[in-house]
Amino acid sequence: MKTFAVLQLSGCAGCEVSLLNADAWIDEYKLLYMPLVISAYNVPDVDILLVSGGVRTDEDLYNLRRAVKNTKQVIAVGTCAISGGIANLGNRDEVRKLFLAHQVERPHVPRLLPRSHPIDTFVEVDRYLPGCPPTPDLFMAILFDKPDFKPARTVCQECGRKKLKDMRPKHLLGFQSGEVLPDICLINQGYLCIGSSTRGGCGAPCTRAGHPCVGCRGPSNAFIEKESSAWFDSIQRVFASMTDIPPEEIEAALRSPQLALFLFQFSDYAGTDRPPRQKEKVL
Amino acid sequence: MTTLTFPLSRIEGHARVIIEIQQGEVLSAHFQATELRGFEYLVQGAPAEQMPVITPRICGVCSTAHHVAAVKALEDAYEVTPPPLALKIRELLMLGQLIQNQATSLFIFTMPDRLGVSSIFQIEDHELGSDETQTRIATRALQVRKAGTDLIALAGGQFIHPIKAVIGGVTSGIETEAAEKMRNYLEAIIPMAQELFDYYWETSLELGERLGTWGDDQPACYISAIAGSCPNFYGNVLHVTSTDGNVCTTFPAKDFRKHLTYQSTDYSYAGQTSYEGEVIRANSLARINMLYNLGTPQADKYMDRFREAFGQPAHALLLFDMARGIELVYALERATEILSEPLNNDEVAVPYTLKDGEGYGLVEAPRGPLIHHYSIKKGLIDQAEFIIPTVHNNLAIERALRVAAERYITEEWVDMELEYAVGRVVRAFDPCIACATH
Ligand code: SF4
Ligand code: SF4
Repeated sequence: MKTFAVLQLSGCAGCEVSLLNADAWIDEYKLLYMPLVISAYNVPDVDILLVSGGVRTDEDLYNLRRAVKNTKQVIAVGTCAISGGIANLGNRDEVRKLFLAHQVERPHVPRLLPRSHPIDTFVEVDRYLPGCPPTPDLFMAILFDKPDFKPARTVCQECGRKKLKDMRPKHLLGFQSGEVLPDICLINQGYLCIGSSTRGGCGAPCTRAGHPCVGCRGPSNAFIEKESSAWFDSIQRVFASMTDIPPEEIEAALRSPQLALFLFQFSDYAGTDRPPRQKEKVL
Repeated sequence: MTTLTFPLSRIEGHARVIIEIQQGEVLSAHFQATELRGFEYLVQGAPAEQMPVITPRICGVCSTAHHVAAVKALEDAYEVTPPPLALKIRELLMLGQLIQNQATSLFIFTMPDRLGVSSIFQIEDHELGSDETQTRIATRALQVRKAGTDLIALAGGQFIHPIKAVIGGVTSGIETEAAEKMRNYLEAIIPMAQELFDYYWETSLELGERLGTWGDDQPACYISAIAGSCPNFYGNVLHVTSTDGNVCTTFPAKDFRKHLTYQSTDYSYAGQTSYEGEVIRANSLARINMLYNLGTPQADKYMDRFREAFGQPAHALLLFDMARGIELVYALERATEILSEPLNNDEVAVPYTLKDGEGYGLVEAPRGPLIHHYSIKKGLIDQAEFIIPTVHNNLAIERALRVAAERYITEEWVDMELEYAVGRVVRAFDPCIACATH
């Protein structure tokens, strides 16, 4: 039996919870380390190491570097481990100051690093599984390396909502504004949906349920090796062609924290000069 | 001085227990949360409307509770009342969360303590014999848990970070066909959950006998957002009971500061709350102590059995775990009741206008009462506060740890049972570190 381990750094455990739902692995893999469900305190030698969460404390960094030493394959799972995700909101300067103030008061707990980092800032990563969290199906696809698993290119392709030519909103409704019309593209209804350039494979649960896509899987392959501004521009072009909403309004909304969680981080390694992640490595 | 460090597992998040001893005397027992993401800071400046999508990411285990609390806080600030159908769907969401959480805590986190294994994923057949009830616990545990996540997905769109609750209501109802399918599915899960819980009950009795204790801490005050009869985890007002079990205070979420005192420590990223100087406890046992009945047939049977065996109020630590099983059965049963009602026949949301001001949102999360408090300026979050159930429990956890330490530490040596006792004590409270530190 192949073996695997799950190392959880600073995250929310949502990635682990999603993995638990992908329960078919229990017949095929031996899970040797995952503190959420196993009492084991050292990462043993394994075939696959899944890492979730970002590097936020010095302890995270130590645990990460120690864990990868004895593993054949390292998979970064979830947006936090890949690009920072929600934690990156805390990398804004004014917020960092508050963080560091916290630091001084607590001498007995792991030190916070000045900012949160994706794991490939420090270690080599073989595969990436973005999503906040990745769905159980995606976990299965990466664990079993299914060659027949072809994720949709974009969320739009999986969404099932129709884009209409003659329904052009003049202003954004934001994200939440009560009842949503079924079957019609959310952009036609004035919602800020970014599914058109977001990586597919999730099955579009959010847009199907009537909530705009917030881009948690990151850019589709067309943009992933480019700067995040390419993703950003493409979304704006979609809105320009489908709506009469002034571009400034779109631009301002795209920079809101909810989207900034995901939108501006995937392809930019803030503060480093590493090359972009190759699309072949990303599921 | 000797410092013993116990890393923790089978709980949500990163934490450890530090016990300091000198010549057999326990000097201190600390429960340390060792992670911090800083949500109270990092949401500052975010458009208030986006909190229902941002705050579930505080914790992937309690995400549904944060999602609903965020929506409720904003509705409080905007003074909008969602329509009855939306409230029903939100109650379903909270029930899905309860099923998921209690199944995880019972069968994944604490079952191994009963069986003497390190994980239900590592039970070898030969360790337990090949008896049907004893094998494949993992498979069945995951199935029961999944019933909860599937229910969240149906009512919330997504099972980890749901999105369907929106200010003013929910994005859509539930089609009759889908509701019926879910109801049938849950009905089939109920006997499986009961079977696992019966086995859990039995093995807990054996554990209690082997240890000669059920966790002999002193009586405590309890806090919960539900009391009386037929609970609704959607949440309403908070209740606190005194050590004799009588409700001594009831207050709305916005008055929490008048009754609860928050204190931070220099050894943990999570703080602690107390009630008028007293240690309080939240979570399953608090609710079971405060409830007269649950109102669904099977759960009430378990409740009677529990009362007969352990009385009311019950204080022993391992009873937190038992109480979770009763709630698991309740949540499954209650969800099937709601799913039999029409869920697609009425308006699901009402319009609202953005407003500046303050809002409080309270829900009874699986771990206890959760409050979101926002102050909103120019449509943006100016200040946010997250009042977290685990934080209410932190003093109670430390008090119980000290009792365990004193039991197993003598001048001669440290009994090897202490390591397991530490795990059991902490898991009884099912703490969530990601939430507690946020
Ligand atoms: S990627 Fe999302 S689900 Fe995974 S740990 Fe981060 S916040 Fe949680
Ligand atoms: S833009 Fe959004 S709502 Fe429209 S088709 Fe794409 S994913 Fe669906």
